[in-house]
Amino acid sequence: MADTTPILRIEHMTKRYGAKEVLKDASLSINRGELKVLIGPSGGGKSTLLQCINFLIKPDRGRIWLDGEEIVRAKGKALYDYRQKVGMIFQDFNLFDHLTALHNVEIGLLRVKGLSRNEARNRAVLELDRVGLTEYMHQYPAELSGGQKQRVSIARALAMDPEIMLLDEPTSALDPELISEVLDVIRTLRSNGMTMIMSTHHIGFASEVADELVFLEDGSIVEVGPPEKVLYRADYARTREFCSKITELYGNSSS
Amino acid sequence: MTESLIVLYGALPYLLRGSLVTIAVVVGAMMIGVIVGISLAVGQVYGDRWLHRLIAVYVWFFRGVPLLVLLFLFYFGLFSLLQINLSAFTVSVIVLGMISSAYQSQIFRGAIMSLPEGQMKAARALGMSDGKAVLLIILPQALRLSIPGWSNEYSIVLKDSAVAYALGVMEMMARAHFVASRTYEHLPLYFAAGFMFMILTYLGTKGLRILEEKVRIPGYSS
Amino acid sequence: MRELFFFQPDIVSALASGLWVSVQLIIPSALLGIIIGVTVGALRVYGNPLVKTIANGYVLVFRGFPLVVQLFIWYFGLPYIGIYLPAFVAAVIGFSLCSGAYQSEYVRGAFLSVKTGQTLAARALGFSQIKMILFVTLPQAFRRALPGCGNEIIYLIKYSSLAYMITCIELTGEGKIIASDSFRYTETFMVIGAIYLVLTSLAAWLLRRLEDRLHLPGFEQYG
Repeated sequence: MADTTPILRIEHMTKRYGAKEVLKDASLSINRGELKVLIGPSGGGKSTLLQCINFLIKPDRGRIWLDGEEIVRAKGKALYDYRQKVGMIFQDFNLFDHLTALHNVEIGLLRVKGLSRNEARNRAVLELDRVGLTEYMHQYPAELSGGQKQRVSIARALAMDPEIMLLDEPTSALDPELISEVLDVIRTLRSNGMTMIMSTHHIGFASEVADELVFLEDGSIVEVGPPEKVLYRADYARTREFCSKITELYGNSSS
Repeated sequence: MTESLIVLYGALPYLLRGSLVTIAVVVGAMMIGVIVGISLAVGQVYGDRWLHRLIAVYVWFFRGVPLLVLLFLFYFGLFSLLQINLSAFTVSVIVLGMISSAYQSQIFRGAIMSLPEGQMKAARALGMSDGKAVLLIILPQALRLSIPGWSNEYSIVLKDSAVAYALGVMEMMARAHFVASRTYEHLPLYFAAGFMFMILTYLGTKGLRILEEKVRIPGYSS
Repeated sequence: MRELFFFQPDIVSALASGLWVSVQLIIPSALLGIIIGVTVGALRVYGNPLVKTIANGYVLVFRGFPLVVQLFIWYFGLPYIGIYLPAFVAAVIGFSLCSGAYQSEYVRGAFLSVKTGQTLAARALGFSQIKMILFVTLPQAFRRALPGCGNEIIYLIKYSSLAYMITCIELTGEGKIIASDSFRYTETFMVIGAIYLVLTSLAAWLLRRLEDRLHLPGFEQYG
């Protein structure tokens, strides 16, 4: 259940690479417990926007507030502390290949949060259990399926106790039959009240879980609104054009 | 024939002690090579443009000038100019180490750059500083990938160590020549020295292959 | 200023003659090394089992023994069985055979890297073994081997300095003489080092130019 304090607010986020402006003056806010989904054509700026939020990409312009506090200095300790509060899930999982699933989840706790060996171990085991991967915890990423890898990466991010989770097309690199296990985990996170911003091509799933859809095209946020509105009764022609194509393709079913 | 064998047999302990000197030179040089090489590699990959260029110049210099010339330059020239008194052994280790570090830096650099971009991103996303990320995530993987190249480098440094003879370091080759000039059994002695080098090469590369197996990550392909 | 006076005409001419000896060492050794390397490399891939064993044995020994040891064997060792080679000849033989062994590794790797589908297609078309090697395998293998073989020649430029150790006075040898006469070790060897740097850098540049000229899409840097 969402309450009314915006936990994250970004304003005027802009990023250009050379002559191309990939993010134009994007602003958005999200309340605690909400799930907002970014949709739009590839190259439209969804991934850039997410990576600007945790400063993996340095925006040219823009301000960010987390829990009412503005992130003024995006450097050094302030940045590292901030990043601990913002969890990120990547399309390509990006698990640390030289570490077992358990160690992948532990390493942030041990080396960034500074927990003791025991505390880190117990928490890591707990998180892996929550995503249903207890029996795989001693496997290396190369031995896991795509869906399992993504679930480990979710456990790794959750172990840091983030205030908000950013999911960058979490299922795009998965084979069809492995997608549902990841979506199930996301559903569970949702019902446990985690605040999330997710970009995805799964319109069916998005309309099922999202509080709001955010349509991004050419770096600009064109329209924001509840799923049924954005998908079927959009205000803007561009939105209607994009959504008519995808609803045709994906229909209403959640995968 | 038997005369040669008698000479060889008698010289063996002396030659074997030479192999210890050779091993000491090689180990010293490889250590310098690793420590400086990794630092240079990290500096080249993650440093700014100027650091990258500076390191490139170092690499170019130490890969472009012959070993023998560098040994003479440092031993007879630079160190005495700076009034630093070092033994021929020490100078050999340092020079071999610096040359090896230039080559090793490129091996490590190649390994680091072959890692997917996502590894660093994920580390940063968790809140790791770049320093921690390099130490905990990048280097453990890059070092594993570097073992074959490093093994090759070991074999090269081992053979190059014989050049230290020119500075008077009494390693295997020097000792073989010493005995040969007194007993005139040149050919057998040089062959013996050569085979001893081959054995050391074999032992070293075998050991590194075992190391590679021990630290291998299941399913990890380079 | 004093340092510059050091480079009197006789010093410069001594260095020049040393450099000339170096060049005379390098070029034949490089050419012979390549010829040996290509031949041995081909034999190691396409030869019958006996030939392969001999070739592999040659490579094992000549890559296993340090170059210094090999040079000593040719110059100081052969007299033991009655063969007396001049220092220059011993040096060229030593460099060629040693370099040839290393070159054969690159050549062999290049031959093996040509996809088997290529040779299957060639045989299906009726090519004989030799024609197949000449017209299908070699053009591809050559491009793959170029970086490695080129680098090997750059190594040869540097290792030519070891001729000094068997009394063949090339650039480095001249330098040692000049330096011990004048006690100007630092200046002398800095100049000599610079000359070698120019040589190796030039060779590296030429190699890159050659690689670029011969580049074909799909044949990216191998190894």
